[in-house]
Amino acid sequence: MFNKKKKVLLIIPAYNEEENILKTCQSIKKCNKDIDYIIINDGSKDKTGEICEKNKLNHINLVHNLGIGGAVQTGYKYAFENDYDIAVQFDGDGQHDVNYVEDIIKPIIDGNADFVIGSRFVKELSEFKSTGARRFGIKIISFFIKLFTGTKIADTTSGFRAVNKKIIAEFAQNYPTEYPEPVSTTELLKKGYKVEEVAVKMNEREGGVSSIRAWKNAYYMINVILSIFIVSIRRYK
Amino acid sequence: MSFNLQLVSCLFIFIVLILVVCMLRDGRINIKYALVWIAAITVLLLFLIFPSFFTWLTKLLGFNVGSNMIFAGLIAFLMFINIILTIIVSNQNNKIRLLIQEVSMLKGKIK
Repeated sequence: MFNKKKKVLLIIPAYNEEENILKTCQSIKKCNKDIDYIIINDGSKDKTGEICEKNKLNHINLVHNLGIGGAVQTGYKYAFENDYDIAVQFDGDGQHDVNYVEDIIKPIIDGNADFVIGSRFVKELSEFKSTGARRFGIKIISFFIKLFTGTKIADTTSGFRAVNKKIIAEFAQNYPTEYPEPVSTTELLKKGYKVEEVAVKMNEREGGVSSIRAWKNAYYMINVILSIFIVSIRRYK
Repeated sequence: MSFNLQLVSCLFIFIVLILVVCMLRDGRINIKYALVWIAAITVLLLFLIFPSFFTWLTKLLGFNVGSNMIFAGLIAFLMFINIILTIIVSNQNNKIRLLIQEVSMLKGKIK
């Protein structure tokens, strides 16, 4: 089971997730493990904030919408201030399954990895693998990350990720706001952190809208690839 | 260049100069950003007072017509200002993000 010494925090960014946020939190409470969570309500225009308030869910209301990167970073700041050992990014829309949290933090507890990505593509666990166009996009990003860093990451846009204490401190200071998933992965690889992918099952989102809406758009791909390229030529100490 | 045109242009530039200085005095713009404008005004004044310098420079840089040089110079100048503004906007973006995060976290703690 969970190592008693390790404090684990789930960071749940939520933008207009009134349909799912309560269900997500109940599933976390139900599994009754020693994990805390924090919802970052990213200036939702629906009742997400009210639901958090009414049900006394642990949350932070951002006073203005920041986008996924800024919201997740707030969670890392919270984790840093409250001295958590492991932080897990967890979507509020029912896509991620809390039962896999254990799998995803295991490599960090064992000291085998600094950064773990919950991947849809490592083993054939997940029936849901998103649309063909999107999978193709993920493959292209994966190719470029391999090209620039030499490491193969299959699920480059997965929002289900766990980080250790060192990376919490780093992300609290500095987290990419644009295309945060592939960009931060590239950054960590370039800095020489150990990154591992663990197979997880993901469900189809039950409501809300993905933060990546422009998938069919070539513009998105070009931007991501350019961002990855820039991050990979940046100089690190 | 006719003397009248020279006079009108000088007047116009002086008005801009006075405007910039007034805004500086009232603290409506930062000195850091005003220096660019003052430099530009100085160059234009130089051209107006010594038109021969202007024609000399046109020939030296290889422009066929003087007005082409003006256009090219202005475009370069505006692009330069744009780049500087982009840097400023990026910095302010970062500062605003930090403020929103810190204020929100504080608000959460107070409740």
